[in-house]
Amino acid sequence: MPGQKNIKNVVLDSLWRDNPIFRQILGICSALAVTNLVLNTMVMGTAVIFTTALSSLTVSLLRRWTPRVVRMMIETLIIAFYVILFDQTLKAYWPDMSRNLGPYVGLIITNCIIMGRAEAFANSNKPGLSFIDGLFSGLGYALVLIAVAMIRELFGMGALLGTPMPFFSSSLWDRWIIMVMPPGAFFTLAIIVWIFRSLRFSKSEQTKEAEK
Amino acid sequence: MTARTYGLQLLIILFASIFTENILLARFLGMCSFLSVSRQVKTAFGLGLAVVFVMTCTVALDWLAFQYVLKPFAILYMRYIIFIIIIAAFVQFIEMAIERYSPVLYQNLGIFLPLITVNCAILGASLFMVIREYDFGEGIVFGLGSGIGWMLAILAMAGIREKLNNAHIPKGLQGPGITLILAGLMALAFIGFTGVLAGK
Amino acid sequence: MKIKNQIWFPVLYIFILTLVLSSILILFGLFTRKRVEDNTRIALERSVLEVLPIDLADKIPTNQVHQLYTKLIRDPDASSGKAFRYIEADSLIAYILPVQGPGFWAAIKGVIGIAVDQKTVTGISFYEQNETPGLGGEIVSQTFRRQFVGKKLGAGKAPLEIRMPAEPIDENSVHAVTGATQTSMRLSKFLNEALLTWQRAVTEKGE
Repeated sequence: MPGQKNIKNVVLDSLWRDNPIFRQILGICSALAVTNLVLNTMVMGTAVIFTTALSSLTVSLLRRWTPRVVRMMIETLIIAFYVILFDQTLKAYWPDMSRNLGPYVGLIITNCIIMGRAEAFANSNKPGLSFIDGLFSGLGYALVLIAVAMIRELFGMGALLGTPMPFFSSSLWDRWIIMVMPPGAFFTLAIIVWIFRSLRFSKSEQTKEAEK
Repeated sequence: MTARTYGLQLLIILFASIFTENILLARFLGMCSFLSVSRQVKTAFGLGLAVVFVMTCTVALDWLAFQYVLKPFAILYMRYIIFIIIIAAFVQFIEMAIERYSPVLYQNLGIFLPLITVNCAILGASLFMVIREYDFGEGIVFGLGSGIGWMLAILAMAGIREKLNNAHIPKGLQGPGITLILAGLMALAFIGFTGVLAGK
Repeated sequence: MKIKNQIWFPVLYIFILTLVLSSILILFGLFTRKRVEDNTRIALERSVLEVLPIDLADKIPTNQVHQLYTKLIRDPDASSGKAFRYIEADSLIAYILPVQGPGFWAAIKGVIGIAVDQKTVTGISFYEQNETPGLGGEIVSQTFRRQFVGKKLGAGKAPLEIRMPAEPIDENSVHAVTGATQTSMRLSKFLNEALLTWQRAVTEKGE
């Protein structure tokens, strides 16, 4: 049934192989839940960097042995392994943070980005390179999250990392409660995406002009 | 607890998981497919129904695993792997069953099933079920409600985006940008529902 | 006859990898288990210390919690109605009653401190809750908890009422968290049930 296969491919294509910035945004969404506080976001970011770097490394080390047909299952298994390690460590040594982050650390396993890096890069590159690639992918992701968190915590609670900030915690600033709630996260991320994509489009137009 | 109080409790969980704590708009789960499949109402509806079905069933199965495997053996941290395996196996099984017994259903629903395996909302619902230590009835209602809530969100999103085809959107906002803003507006609207439960 | 090309290799591969990874995780789990259990115990002990009518440092370092707890607190006995006892210089200063019950989303666990007069509340503290952050989750905030200090347990069906923010309060009641109706109602229910049971238990044994 060729018709069906087409839809499947197209849908899966748009999920995995779309442009990098879009793909980046996809994976970010579930982590938005913890971006109401910068501290929580930094821990979450560390979890993502840890997992992406090490799972890319591991997938790359095993790439000559992993049979193609079970490739995605193996990747999921490896990612889950590192996530559980991080989650359990957090639970044992920083229980308050573990409770704050709730199920969201575990949900890193289903994060499209980590799987995407493993598929696109680690499968066909050397361990050293894969590790670096994973490290920086995770870092880029974490930085966007922290940017969202800084805006949310500053505008919504007048503080950063728990410490009240000069202007924003004074009576001159009317706290934007919406930033503390889910809509605030969506709007902040939307604006960041807007800025990035506009820059990207203007850059590509500049290169086109230069090439003329 | 009387049957009436229990029934009321279930109703509250159902209402809350659909509206006030919508798994997508308030808990941010299931966004990947949400952002990419919400362009047409038809496809959104198909995916939504599939999610409702899979979510309810997997929460039930995961509950069984939680009560009879994870807790007795004190291996709670293995729940991520076990739940994912259960979800993947269930989806695979359903896909095969649908493909064999109802080609029509497969055309309309079955093709979305592989997408669901990576949907964080499905795994997320089970994880919340564990955190809140629901009993079986509460778990099923929670899974059902979360699924319906997710479907509601993606349907609304698709409806709005179809209309947006005729609107002029700045280049930087096209695609994920405008979808996020819409999601934010919907999340804002859904917050209004918390007032309904305040009366109780 | 390369092993990789055998038809059963993928299954074997997954099996071995799952085995190896799971073993590492289980070993790690065993290694951290004691720590995780201690954490739950310390959370409870920390809450108990927080409701005492004495001035302790704001955030007691985790490694000192247990020491301080064993120094100041005695286990419940027949006369304290299942409450922990804060003893100083051989005399009872306060009771610390553990309370728990279903919140809106999951169980809420906490302790409430009651002075030796069996009426004055010295404080309340929660060590486990999963309510909505910003709404029901605010029960752990100082603003909410501070209200309880100095309140008196009344007679009647609800020794300590939690009233809606619009209603006036007196010495037997506190204000609920704005917007957290469900959480407040449930908290009020199991808190008062526990208080009633405790009142009955101590008046039978004491006086």
